[in-house]
Amino acid sequence: MHELGIMIEVVRQVEAMAKREKVKRVEKIVLQIGEIATVIPHFVEECFPAAAYETSLEDTELEIEIIPANGRCRECEKVYHLLDKNGHCTYCGQKNFDFLSGREFMIKEILVEDEDEEVAGD
Amino acid sequence: MAKFRVIEIKEGILAENDRQAEEMRQELLAAKRLLVNLMSSPGSGKTTTLVQTIKALKDEFEIGVMEADIDSSVDAETISATGAKVIQLHTGGMCHLDAAMTRQGLDALGAEGLDLIVLENVGNLVCPAEFDTGANKNVMILSVPEGDDKPLKYPLMFEIVDLVLVNKMDVAPYFNFDLEKLKERVAKVNPKAKVIPISALKAEGMDEWFEWLKAEVKAVKD
Repeated sequence: MHELGIMIEVVRQVEAMAKREKVKRVEKIVLQIGEIATVIPHFVEECFPAAAYETSLEDTELEIEIIPANGRCRECEKVYHLLDKNGHCTYCGQKNFDFLSGREFMIKEILVEDEDEEVAGD
Repeated sequence: MAKFRVIEIKEGILAENDRQAEEMRQELLAAKRLLVNLMSSPGSGKTTTLVQTIKALKDEFEIGVMEADIDSSVDAETISATGAKVIQLHTGGMCHLDAAMTRQGLDALGAEGLDLIVLENVGNLVCPAEFDTGANKNVMILSVPEGDDKPLKYPLMFEIVDLVLVNKMDVAPYFNFDLEKLKERVAKVNPKAKVIPISALKAEGMDEWFEWLKAEVKAVKD
């Protein structure tokens, strides 16, 4: 259960980016989490309000995209979903693969609102 | 009129921590100082092992200890009785230390003049494995009562360590613990990890661990 610490880091990074880009407000954060990443999307969602509490991201929306756990079979060279048959190739049944995706944990992008130029120009 | 735009980041969340950790590792190497990140479950004997280690090596090296705990300072008090330089880091509810916290700890400890610094991480086999602290070497203690199946359950921890100390070997006959099976399982997730069985309480098997530590301190000095 380390999601809170990780989300505090996310808040820190997004706030730093928002400051660099001189944005008015961060509307939304989009995270990408792999299916077999060591963070649980549900807990990430639960921890976000606590991590964002009393920061500039308190009202920011959080969106999570799930990246499937895929591997390429070294026997038949097909790409398959690792979770379907407990790691075994869904085509030939072997369990001998190169890992392709599923452990990601990234900030994909943020949607920001910029300072209104006319108002800013006043 | 509100204007919205999307800023692409596409960066791993731990990327910033990894950068800070790597920077610190290089600084430690330049200063010829060894920082060992010691990890384990609660109650595996980290503090007892550390006390024995300090006693055995304190004439040879200047040793500093950073005790990370969610709260309390009982471990720091125990360690400070050995005469080693020690500080207590409170993680404020967090279950691990990251590179930034480790750096603050080093600054607070005053690393100047120290040959060996041990970071006693929060007792936990999950989160500390995720966060690179910037230590030169990662060591974990697995104690016999925890069972020989732990490499299967916490593979990431076993993947990132350089050394596994198997503590409480003196009680192995009372537990269903198979050292050979454990070694096999460790080798499967991390062929480079060394396994040393010890009993910190009975001061058994400790010499091999001391020798390992001495060799690592020398390695950063040369």
